[in-house]
Amino acid sequence: MSTIAIQVEGVSKRFRLRSAGGNTLKSLVMDRFRSGADTSRELWALKDVSFTVEKGTTLGLIGANGAGKSTLLALLAGTMMPTEGHLKTHGTISSLLELGAGFHPDLTGRENVFLAGAIMGLTREQMNRRFDAIVEFADIGRFIDQPVKHYSSGMYVRLGFAVAVEVDPDVLLVDEVLAVGDASFQRKCLRRMAEFREQKKTMLIISHDLNTIQTVSDQILFLDHGRVLGHGAPSQVIGQYETFSRDQVSSDRRREWGTREVILTGAQFLNEAGQETTRVTWGEALTIRLHYDAKTPVGPSVFGYGISDEQGRLVHGNNTQIEAISIPSLSGRGTMVLTLPSLNLAKGTYLFSFSVHSADHQVNYHRLDHAFAIGVEATKSFEGLCYMPCEWKQEPSTAQP
Amino acid sequence: MAGLIKDITTHRDLLSMLVARNIKIRYKESALGFLWTLLGPVFLILIYAFFMKVVMKFPIPMPVLVSGIFVWQYLAMCLGDSSFAIIGNANLVKKACFPRLLLPLSIVLANFVNFLLSLLVMAVYLLIVGPHFGSIAWLPLALITHLALCTGVSLGLCAMNVFLRDVQHLTGIFTMAWFFLTPVVYALSDVAPFIQKYPLLGPLYFMNPMAGILALYRTALLGSPLPELSLISLSMLVSVIIFVAGLAIFQKLQPRFADEL
Repeated sequence: MSTIAIQVEGVSKRFRLRSAGGNTLKSLVMDRFRSGADTSRELWALKDVSFTVEKGTTLGLIGANGAGKSTLLALLAGTMMPTEGHLKTHGTISSLLELGAGFHPDLTGRENVFLAGAIMGLTREQMNRRFDAIVEFADIGRFIDQPVKHYSSGMYVRLGFAVAVEVDPDVLLVDEVLAVGDASFQRKCLRRMAEFREQKKTMLIISHDLNTIQTVSDQILFLDHGRVLGHGAPSQVIGQYETFSRDQVSSDRRREWGTREVILTGAQFLNEAGQETTRVTWGEALTIRLHYDAKTPVGPSVFGYGISDEQGRLVHGNNTQIEAISIPSLSGRGTMVLTLPSLNLAKGTYLFSFSVHSADHQVNYHRLDHAFAIGVEATKSFEGLCYMPCEWKQEPSTAQP
Repeated sequence: MAGLIKDITTHRDLLSMLVARNIKIRYKESALGFLWTLLGPVFLILIYAFFMKVVMKFPIPMPVLVSGIFVWQYLAMCLGDSSFAIIGNANLVKKACFPRLLLPLSIVLANFVNFLLSLLVMAVYLLIVGPHFGSIAWLPLALITHLALCTGVSLGLCAMNVFLRDVQHLTGIFTMAWFFLTPVVYALSDVAPFIQKYPLLGPLYFMNPMAGILALYRTALLGSPLPELSLISLSMLVSVIIFVAGLAIFQKLQPRFADEL
């Protein structure tokens, strides 16, 4: 018996994009005339994706929106056909692509449960045996005989999840289940998924919650724009993904301008051990080596820096003038060294900006806004963006014993 | 074909549930519920009877009109519903894997159940008004051909409507034209003189499968004279062709349904 549950080989999926008007005779006729523009109307949601999933293991799928995660699950569930390549799955598959997606609002919970079971290929008898467990797991009591349009969104999702897991498939596909439902239901889902793993079942999970996906997955597949960028051990691939999304953030927000008499040619970020890094730890020293090239010699100048959060909000900024460091002139290549003895930022991603301008603020030589993304790991989980050194002390109690 | 039959038999539970769902949903939250299956055609008959017989003095016998409307209504319901068989279940098609054929098929069958019930009502009516039944032996043939035609048309329409939403609008217009090309509110004997005068008109007229199907029903239920067998066979042949073509179109297009929705 083979130990492979899912095998994906060189799979690509192309979508044809339609004009906003949708599918009408007019667009069809117009498209005939507008041939040649065809390639711009294509989208490769997946491009040459290959991987295997061993039986009894859990694969987590991560990537930004539009990376192709949901398309991949749809291909595995069999609702879509790949444009190129092959997929092989062994055993029955139950997909939670969208919880309760097949529910009809006018039918009761009971009717929908049986219909959903039939869609997944179970007979009425098999569903009869599972029915009580489903109602119990979903915890919706007498509402089971009400039309589902009267359900709260939580009840809807609970019933959908209950059906999908009680169907007891060999392979379970889960798309963003953990993003819905309240905390107690999420715990219940996670417990059920853990049981699933103990029973040596195979799971494929999509989640944007990196902490959860790291704990439930044996392997992680990282997709971006339809391509596999990483596949392997959770901690390693998630680290890779975080670095990648930091770079994305900074390239999205990066701005650069100035007269370019002096240009900032680069910045090196060094940790306490003096190694170059893009990931630093709260409380440790960070040294930044800022390289410049004064192509035209200039007079009194000022270097500045700013630290912003991912949304571009300034957290902190400072410059040499404020710190009373005088730089009478600049010429040729050189390096400014900036040391932050104790990095007091909360866990997250921060964008560093640098600038060099004349001391009278009249000429802006070069400014790099949001050009460098740095991840901060924090062992202390304080509130807010920055940490202020503080001391707590309890005074001796004045109450009489 | 063998694969299709296997698909349907292994999913017969699902098919029967979808049929039940379609019947239930149609009449959910209406006070008269299932009665509407009958009330629709009954009102249609009353309206046509008034305008044809009273206003226009067209001598159509009531049993001919009643049988015409009831039989036509089955095809008309399928034409109206089938455009939405796939696009109306977009969520299911995108998220779950099962033979897509079951969606239009369940609509055709749900309407067929309604139609059989309305046939019962019609039988009661015919017993009351008196004319003896015709050769009932033709009824199964009429039903099977009718079912094949409705299935073929529905499969083709629902699949094409996924890619081109004009289909649902064109269907409405087409249904109207088809209605008048079919001897629904007139008897076959009303067109017989023309067919005798222009011999080519006969085959042309019976290329409309509904002409032959309705003739079979009226022979079976009212004892109307059966047209030439060659003409009836032509209607049946066209029905079979439409069935096969509809199925072929559906099978050709269905792998791309989820992409388009």
